[in-house]
Amino acid sequence: MSNDLVIKDLRARIDDKEILKGVNLTVRGGTIHAIMGPNGSGKSTLANIIAGHPGYEVTGGEIWYKDQNILELEPDERSKLGLFLAFQYPVAVPGVTVANFLRAAINAHRAEAGKDPKETAIPVAEFRKQLREGMKILEMDESFARRYLNEGFSGGEKKRLEILQMTMLKPSMAVMDETDSGLDIDALRIVADGVNRLAGPHMAALVITHYQRLLNYIKPQFVSVMMDGRIVRDGGPELALELEEKGYDWLREELAA
Amino acid sequence: MNSITLKDLTADTIVASSRERGEPGWLTERRREAWQFFAQAGPPEWRRTNLSGLQPEGLTLSASGSVSVSWDPALAAQGVVLKPLHEALASHEALIKARLDTAVAPLEHKFSALRAALWNDGALLFVPKNVAAETPIHVRYSLPAGSRTSFPRTLAIVEDNAQVTLIEEFACADQPARVLAAPVSEIFAGPGSQVRFISVQRWGDGVYHIGGQKVLLERDAALEWTSIALGATVQHIEAETTLKGDGSRVNWLGATFASGTQLLLTAPWLRHIGHHAESFMEFKTVVNDTGYSVFDGMIKIEHESTATSTRLEEHALHLSPRARNDSIPGLKIDTNSVLKGGHASTSGDVDEEQLFYMQARGISKTEAKRMIVMGFFSPALDSLPLEALRGELEAMIEAKI
Repeated sequence: MSNDLVIKDLRARIDDKEILKGVNLTVRGGTIHAIMGPNGSGKSTLANIIAGHPGYEVTGGEIWYKDQNILELEPDERSKLGLFLAFQYPVAVPGVTVANFLRAAINAHRAEAGKDPKETAIPVAEFRKQLREGMKILEMDESFARRYLNEGFSGGEKKRLEILQMTMLKPSMAVMDETDSGLDIDALRIVADGVNRLAGPHMAALVITHYQRLLNYIKPQFVSVMMDGRIVRDGGPELALELEEKGYDWLREELAA
Repeated sequence: MNSITLKDLTADTIVASSRERGEPGWLTERRREAWQFFAQAGPPEWRRTNLSGLQPEGLTLSASGSVSVSWDPALAAQGVVLKPLHEALASHEALIKARLDTAVAPLEHKFSALRAALWNDGALLFVPKNVAAETPIHVRYSLPAGSRTSFPRTLAIVEDNAQVTLIEEFACADQPARVLAAPVSEIFAGPGSQVRFISVQRWGDGVYHIGGQKVLLERDAALEWTSIALGATVQHIEAETTLKGDGSRVNWLGATFASGTQLLLTAPWLRHIGHHAESFMEFKTVVNDTGYSVFDGMIKIEHESTATSTRLEEHALHLSPRARNDSIPGLKIDTNSVLKGGHASTSGDVDEEQLFYMQARGISKTEAKRMIVMGFFSPALDSLPLEALRGELEAMIEAKI
């Protein structure tokens, strides 16, 4: 079974606007891979389509993970396959507490066909322990668990909650969509530490970012650049530094030549 | 009165059966007067409540309804009284005479008159001065097999600085034929008292519920009211909190779920009379299938009141494109002195972004929808003082999604 995420000639549009124009990309299992690109290049669209957002129309191509074309799967099935999207803009759900949401998510992952969900559900004590440990690592107050999901959360709190969910769901492939946006340096460090703790042989990370800044904290082995709906260059960490130094216009000019 | 239908009744039979039950003369006279009003009044002009399927004239009268109570008997030692209303007529006649039918006016329309003429069951709750009843009092009205009518009454008198939690529940299985349930609930909250009132309408199919509810707040009285409506074929509830006393306040939460072909109307009013009174109302409505709900809420600020703070909100969630919700919030102000006043209503489908976010964590669409609906209703559900009741209502809600 392949742990690589393989994207082949992916094309997608929203309303009548074509956003992805043939994306080809392989994220190797167990690696950290960054996608950089200017605003509007299609990075967030790609992240959302990997997770199965219903608002985009995929007009061509395939996304393979664990021997399945995941474009045929519902978002919850993709999650259970080991994919995780850390949202750029996490969604508020009033009346649903963080703790209840997390427990429902964990139990959905533990459910097995033909078995009573009560049988496979996480024992309450074990859940509480995991939750407490996760929140401690991310420097979150315990009262956090009783608050309604993302309701009235600051930007930093929302991103920490995304990492807490990732910590507890233990995905094998995490897509981080602009996780650094809206974070001060302290929050950025906590979030990056959370990712670094998990990334490794058991979890690959696809880190999507506009700025090099995040990559000072999360060190990618591979860097790809996305422009105008396509991956236009692949390289190593040095590519990110080059972009930081010269900006995107340099690459745009080089590609036009 | 077995096998007597509504159309067989006359003022004389009403009087005769009241006497037969040994009721005091004033009550017999009130029943007669209400019956005369009923007999002469035309059908109510309700624009949204469709009663064409009811045909009340042909309904058989039940000898009595069925009320059951559960409470901690230790409360009796504190002086709390809870008894069937008929029984209480013998022991607390003066109290009942002074209060009954004074909050919910009997001669308003055909059905209010019918309720006053025919009430046949009920409960009296009396909480004396300075008594804090710590455990909830649960009054449950059901429907004996074969009953086609039910006219229950709740009369609660909470004296100065007393505290109480009252749960009033209407429940029965699905009915093979049309049933008219026409209850009245009157609560008198004395100066400085604290009242929690949970009203739950969860009748089965076939029931037409035409109810009147009023809570009257004296000076500095505080009310937490939760109105839950899940059952019945048709519901038409006129409810009011009267903030009569200075400094009185109410926090009123609602949860209504109309599914199948249900029509559930609630007309909750906030009526401000006293000075510096505060009111907040938040009703949540979910509609599914071809269900239809109506929120006919109103803030009425009378001319004698000053420094009122009030806010009314209704939020509706649509689970089906064929379901319908009418929200008609109103504000009537007859004074120049209002501190804060406002209302808001929103209406929409289940949010696609919420569903996607939850699904992206492995939660199925069905489960995500269930969690969103429960979360939507959480202010009302969280206010329930009994875990068992909450569990039952959650199961009912789940079945309607």
